[in-house]
Amino acid sequence: MNDTTVERGLNAREKLDKYLALLGPMAMIAALLLLMLMLEPARYFRVSNFDIILKDAALYMPMAMAMTLVITTRGIDLSIGSVAALTAIIMGYMVKSYGFPWWVAVSMAISLGALCGLINGLIITKLRVPDLIGTLAMDLAYRGFALVLAKGVVLSRFPEEIVAIGRGSIPGFLPIPVVIGLVTIVAGYIIYTRTRLGRYAIAIGSNPEAAELTGVPVNRYKVYVYVLMGAMAGLAGVMLAGKLNAIQATSAPFFNLHVIAAVVVGGTSLFGGRGSMIGSLAGVLLLAMMINALVTLRIEFFWQSVASGAVIIFSVAFYTWIQMKDRDGQGGFMAALKTPENKHLGRFLLIMAVIIGALFILGWLLAGETTAVR
Amino acid sequence: MTQSSVPLISMRGITKRFGGVTALEGVDLDLHAGEVLAIVGDNGAGKSTLIKVLTGVLRPTEGTIAMNGEALVMNSHSDAISHGIDAVYQTLALADHLTPAANMFLGSELTRNVLGFEFLDNKRMRSEAERTLQERLGVTLRSMDVPTDSLSGGQRQAIAIARAVYHSDLKVLVMDEPTAALGPRETARTLKLIEAVREQGLGVIVISHSLDDVFAVSDRIQIMRRGRRADVVKTSESNSTQVLGIMVGASTEQAS
Repeated sequence: MNDTTVERGLNAREKLDKYLALLGPMAMIAALLLLMLMLEPARYFRVSNFDIILKDAALYMPMAMAMTLVITTRGIDLSIGSVAALTAIIMGYMVKSYGFPWWVAVSMAISLGALCGLINGLIITKLRVPDLIGTLAMDLAYRGFALVLAKGVVLSRFPEEIVAIGRGSIPGFLPIPVVIGLVTIVAGYIIYTRTRLGRYAIAIGSNPEAAELTGVPVNRYKVYVYVLMGAMAGLAGVMLAGKLNAIQATSAPFFNLHVIAAVVVGGTSLFGGRGSMIGSLAGVLLLAMMINALVTLRIEFFWQSVASGAVIIFSVAFYTWIQMKDRDGQGGFMAALKTPENKHLGRFLLIMAVIIGALFILGWLLAGETTAVR
Repeated sequence: MTQSSVPLISMRGITKRFGGVTALEGVDLDLHAGEVLAIVGDNGAGKSTLIKVLTGVLRPTEGTIAMNGEALVMNSHSDAISHGIDAVYQTLALADHLTPAANMFLGSELTRNVLGFEFLDNKRMRSEAERTLQERLGVTLRSMDVPTDSLSGGQRQAIAIARAVYHSDLKVLVMDEPTAALGPRETARTLKLIEAVREQGLGVIVISHSLDDVFAVSDRIQIMRRGRRADVVKTSESNSTQVLGIMVGASTEQAS
């Protein structure tokens, strides 16, 4: 009773699917390189500049690795920037005010990060606070702790070993932070494909009810994932402190958004069940290259946030579009504009533009004396 | 059909009350090895509750369950599994993004030890899954390396059944509405799967709303009505008009 009517093997789409996570960021990296080749080749394509890019990317690699697992479970962690700042500040006090050996302080920072992750995980699984709100609130709380501890103080001049973790180099080889980052990514790849943690992360994100029914300890594994995330945020805190040789309570404000952007660009689905460690690595590289390109082009620092935001929106929209199974009845962009529903939205947009324009003209007509902003 | 004198499963006088509501009242059920018993009944007749009692999800208020004549005490679903009783749910409980093998072993992965760490043995799980599907269910999947959601309904069903039968000590397989979401072709394939399981000497219980499927696959039909066992008929000696009549209570009310 062998079922011979079924075609065997993979179809073209499924073969492509495996590489989709890499294709997106690779295409964007290629586009970026092309753009820089035209605009600023001399300053962008230098060994020293790629060194900078790699070190920037390395900082995000451990967090991107853990965030890939978090997002695969349909979770999110918005608290990682504060966890990094808090753990780095505690590490700073341990070595500077208490004279702890550097390796004890570093291990402590990572362990405290794991503890913060454990707290996040328990808040989400035991108190049943949704991950978005839970980690957003804990972001405030951890940042608050960091501010309470450090006030406005900048802790600097760390032992040379900690500085080496952040920006040292192995002669003739790669910078130390890059080695650390790549090791975490490789470890992440093994976790993702060859351990229960990775397998259950996919199952939980894919179908939580099924995971529960088949005997997967869903909540316990969710907590594990957040613990790993916290530990990696702690490690990133150490790397950041070493890289800058300084840390303060307000450091690392946008870690969460940059890391989530990198992971999402790399093809990990925010809807769970689907992730790619190598895609996340590519995403991290893309983000570092993009930020570096903005700097090279002497574009103001604050545009980085705009660029990161745009990349997140673009990637999520792109992957959602790719995943759509039914494209029937979609006649392209112009046809979509003509549907009744979209006409309403278009009119709404127009009305808002008119109101803002009218207000601007009104203000201009009624304008009095000016005062300097600064 | 191999009818032994002692049934594989015999439930006696099962009563289940939820507060003031009586879902089951003194229900008996016999299941023999190598037979397919269909349970039919209107919505709220007590089919699901009876099955949940058998699979250890619910504990009966009164009544006993025996396997091969020995009393079973089941406090949880995992107790039932350890006695060789497992269920395939209507939703199949598959993680769509995982491969067939990963789904088959979900929650009980095969591992190998490397330097004191437990790693998944993906290769062995893949070959074991392929072998189980082929040898026990006669199914060859389109590919073992695609996400499960890209397979057909019948193949997904096969993975869910393979998950249950892989445990070699499985004696009773309960299937809740196996054909509810399937088209005619996939339904035919699923009925074939059920026959394959029966041929291996397992007792199979099928809950279904489709009398066509019930008559196509079952050996006996137990008809439930308002929390009681209305009747049990041999499939070969009955027809859907008669079963439908018992289901809605027409024939028994005439008789009494």
